[in-house]
Amino acid sequence: MTDAAPAVRLRGVGKDYGARAAVGAIDLEIRRGECFALLGPNGAGKTTTISMVAGVVTPSRGQIEICGLDLQRDPYAAKARLGLVPQELALYEELSALQNLTYFGALYGLAGATLAQRIDEALDIVGLRDRAREPAKRYSGGMKRRLNIAAGLVHRPEVLVLDEPTVGVDPQSRNHIFATVRALRDAGTTVVYTTHHMEEVEALCDRVAIIDAGAIIASGTVGELVAQHTTHEIVIELGGDPQAIAAGLREACARGATQHESSTVRIVPTEGLATLIGAIEGTGAVIARIASRDATLEAAFLALTGHALRDAS
Amino acid sequence: MIRAVIAKDVWLLVRDRGALISLFALPLVFILVFGSIYRGGPDRERPRPVAIWSAAGDGRGAVIAAVLGASPGFVARPVGSAEDVRRAVADEDVVAGLVIPADLGAPIELVIDLAAPIQVRGPIEGALTAVVMRALGPAGSMPRIEARSPPDLAPPLPEASAFQVSVPANAVLFGFFLALTVAMTFATDRRTGAWRRLLAAPVSRRRALLAALVPYYLVGVAQLAFLFGTGALVFGMEIGGSLIALIALSLALVYCAVSLGLLFASIGGSERQLGGIGSVVLLVMGILGGCMVPRMIMPSVMQSIGLAVPHGWALDGYYEILVRQGAGLAEISPSIAALVGFGTAFAAIGAARFRFE
Repeated sequence: MTDAAPAVRLRGVGKDYGARAAVGAIDLEIRRGECFALLGPNGAGKTTTISMVAGVVTPSRGQIEICGLDLQRDPYAAKARLGLVPQELALYEELSALQNLTYFGALYGLAGATLAQRIDEALDIVGLRDRAREPAKRYSGGMKRRLNIAAGLVHRPEVLVLDEPTVGVDPQSRNHIFATVRALRDAGTTVVYTTHHMEEVEALCDRVAIIDAGAIIASGTVGELVAQHTTHEIVIELGGDPQAIAAGLREACARGATQHESSTVRIVPTEGLATLIGAIEGTGAVIARIASRDATLEAAFLALTGHALRDAS
Repeated sequence: MIRAVIAKDVWLLVRDRGALISLFALPLVFILVFGSIYRGGPDRERPRPVAIWSAAGDGRGAVIAAVLGASPGFVARPVGSAEDVRRAVADEDVVAGLVIPADLGAPIELVIDLAAPIQVRGPIEGALTAVVMRALGPAGSMPRIEARSPPDLAPPLPEASAFQVSVPANAVLFGFFLALTVAMTFATDRRTGAWRRLLAAPVSRRRALLAALVPYYLVGVAQLAFLFGTGALVFGMEIGGSLIALIALSLALVYCAVSLGLLFASIGGSERQLGGIGSVVLLVMGILGGCMVPRMIMPSVMQSIGLAVPHGWALDGYYEILVRQGAGLAEISPSIAALVGFGTAFAAIGAARFRFE
């Protein structure tokens, strides 16, 4: 183990379930102290990948290192450096926050004053110290999510893996979780964050890997991905009668990676703009408004995968 | 709308194996099991053997054997000596025995296990007394008959209460329900993700599994201590045999129950499925093992089937300790060995089948 080693390194890591490969053969490096997102639709292989990283699922192939420690050869030392926050609320709701954290801390060999101190730290980070003695079942959904994070933090891991931590939370709790993630990253913790929300990646993460159908199809900073894979996207608002709008939307979908809401279609053009407009107008739809805007991560995802994230999920 | 609700509930029901089993299979199983237990009383078709011996040249033995042979439900089995009669009863080769002494003034010895519940022993004693009366009474003075246990069996407590039977029966039945609690805990931890958290911790999977089971072993021990303690202190249940033997048997029972829980957990399923199917399995095991109806009053086939489940062995052991004076580890060693054997088999199969991921 060296301090220079990446926080997480995957070499050819894959997982098969029977004849189906849930994850192909992933190569990935996550640097120390960064917030790294694994972005992909549901079923893309995000949870399987991080489950392999956390030692919960045994890979069918490949090698995983946590802070330079081989997860297969030195599993206990490697796992001790990593904290997992599962997507589910992996808590005992009848127990208080304090009791939950005491249990999860003890799994990492913590006891006595050290454990008490780490519990206080974790509760401070997630802002639950004043409610620590209440049973978790009395918490709001957002508070339970925060306690779920605290349970992954209590042993002060160098790498924290968060599997879709904002599922089902209200905006206020989501902001609290964002603040927690930023504070952890600022304190030097490596954060691995899986999500299918683009805006979370753009708001939080230094680098991102896009995973689709069990393979990493691109990785880099949000800026790099956008710059590499698209320059701009066109937003077209269609008019006319409903049948014409529907026909126009169908034509637009057939001509590239598109996303549509009501009568508005967003396209990362793969052909000349005039050709695109002519084809849409040929269906009888009227182009009521057209605008070009700077590409976003969402546009890059469209360009890379050929489908919108929400369509895939 | 009502049609849609009906269709929805039918779809849900046909996919819920636990509910289907509880609603349709469970009553059938109970009908079958209880029907087999009560069918025409114990062994109506198969007469139960009674060992009989009389001194050479004493014609009373032959007369009694003839009357016995003519009685429904019994068949005489002549043996070579009084000792052979007592041994046959102690070994449970026969339900009872008659020793007709050479001395005409001495009482006829009715050899029977006096520790058996009165519901079992009473009818046999009554029937055999009547047989002897019919055989010998008209010809002379009324014969004297004394019921005695075989000397190889420890004597029973002088006054055994009904709690001597009901406390162990329910302790065994509900002690094994611990298996369901164990299995459902695994299912809950898998559903909530707590199991993933345990696997992500720096502990070996074998140790994680063991750590998940040990608390339930302690819970099981506490449960049995509470039930037998309450039985003794509140209900006046006596312990005729050794307290150490009682503790050893209870520890073996809990080991077996926790191992059965691991086996259930290895089969998988949701909490609801486990609750439905597991409770049926445990209830049927309890019935077969004699927790609801003592095995001693079941037909011999059902008595043998009862030993195919650990409940039967556990109850046999508890009866020995609670009802017989001085019964110790030696007397219940077959029960302990059977429970440990069942437990080890359950644990081995459960551990081999258990899916960590």
